[in-house]
Amino acid sequence: MPNVIRVPKPNRKQSYQPHRLLGKNVLLQNQVKHFKELEKDLPAQHQTGIRHEEIRTEAEAAQYIRRMTEKLHQLGGKA
Amino acid sequence: MSAGLENLKHVVVLMMENRSFDHMLGALQAENPKINGLSGTETNLDTSNEPAKAQPKAEFQGQLDPDPDHHFPAVHKQLFFGTPGPPAAPSMKGFVQSYFDQRNDVEHSRKIMYYFAIDKLPVLHALARNYAVFNGWFSSIPGPTVCNRAFAHYGTSFGKANLDIFYIKEPFKSIYERMLDANRTTKLYYFDPASSTQEVVNLLKNQPQIFATYNQFLDDCKRGQLPDDAFVEPNYSDHPGDGGGELLASDQHPDHDVQEGEVFIASVYNAIRQNPDLWKSTALLITYDEHGGIYDHVAPPSCVPDGFEASLDETRAATGDVPFKFDRLGVRVPAILVSPWIDKRTVVPGPEDKDNGRVFEHASIPATITQHFIGDYDNRSPREKAAQTFLDLLGDEMRPDSDCPHFEFD
Repeated sequence: MPNVIRVPKPNRKQSYQPHRLLGKNVLLQNQVKHFKELEKDLPAQHQTGIRHEEIRTEAEAAQYIRRMTEKLHQLGGKA
Repeated sequence: MSAGLENLKHVVVLMMENRSFDHMLGALQAENPKINGLSGTETNLDTSNEPAKAQPKAEFQGQLDPDPDHHFPAVHKQLFFGTPGPPAAPSMKGFVQSYFDQRNDVEHSRKIMYYFAIDKLPVLHALARNYAVFNGWFSSIPGPTVCNRAFAHYGTSFGKANLDIFYIKEPFKSIYERMLDANRTTKLYYFDPASSTQEVVNLLKNQPQIFATYNQFLDDCKRGQLPDDAFVEPNYSDHPGDGGGELLASDQHPDHDVQEGEVFIASVYNAIRQNPDLWKSTALLITYDEHGGIYDHVAPPSCVPDGFEASLDETRAATGDVPFKFDRLGVRVPAILVSPWIDKRTVVPGPEDKDNGRVFEHASIPATITQHFIGDYDNRSPREKAAQTFLDLLGDEMRPDSDCPHFEFD
């Protein structure tokens, strides 16, 4: 095919750092903070029970964000 | 109206994270002098008073750790170092000094001047060569992500210049609400639930129906079901995938791997490019929320005040008791508009061209979408009302398929 541009992929083994500390990424830290603030307004039965201090790495942040995102979709804007 | 505009049915915006124009595209000036990039003579003084040169030594990962500070006070230093501060013109001389503040390491602080060599970024550089590069697209605020992204969604940050949650103030609705009110279709695609969105409170809480995942975006492109207006967010974290496997952050936020971001940009482009009906009827804007503390040589201009004042708590460390009125822009970021209706090697002049230069910012996004899909709409922020729109770049000739690149992954 004409005009094809090859795109190299990164070395996953080297690049993948799920245990990177959350403190290294202010954006992600704040995303967690925003979800935490939002969670305070949810009825008790919809709270995750995850304490803020337990979220220390990117993977832990992602796990918490996933639960909150799914929860909010489930509640359909009625949080 | 041009033929390109007559054919336009979809606007897709992909907003990446935290890289300046010069860092990503500055090298391209060497092959196209119209691009306002780097000449190789740009310097900042380091803390030992030695000049640190802008050099093409940027790597995909490992150089910008810690995350360079880009909160309001740090950006103020990056912009105004060696000057009395606003209303003086920004010197763009404080980037190295600002980065030194975080690690107290002179050698390391000089890396904030590094930029990507030609073709180190095959995707972004190919798109810049093939479509339209904006020499004058600036982040909306000299500050961090959340307030800057707010300008892309609402045309304002409602007076916030930091990462805190902001609350919507009437009468300004998000572009998504405006589109729905006008019986148009709109979607905000986040990568996956574990990455989610940066519009946590105001959109996810109130309008979950406008959200979808990136897989849905790919599917919508394939099936020709893309909405009129689409906003795509990259993956913000390294995390395990649904069915196992490892998902790399693709947002290009330091210190995430820039190459994974390249793959992501290429996949968004390919998804549109591979559907012929979509390709001829879609404009794709790729831009970055802000510069992430990384060097750029162009002084951000002043702009129409937004009608808000930032809390002094957010800005006092930089400007004392003088309030920030959202009357000047943040650092320049990469912005590329992609469409087969755009001439190859188009460069939209910026502030360097006193006669024809145009200044864009993130409020240009809702301004453009509103203008094209809704028409007259008064309840918008002063900044959005004053913002330049960009669809006039679509011309009358559609380039042949063979003239437009296609990405294949190694």
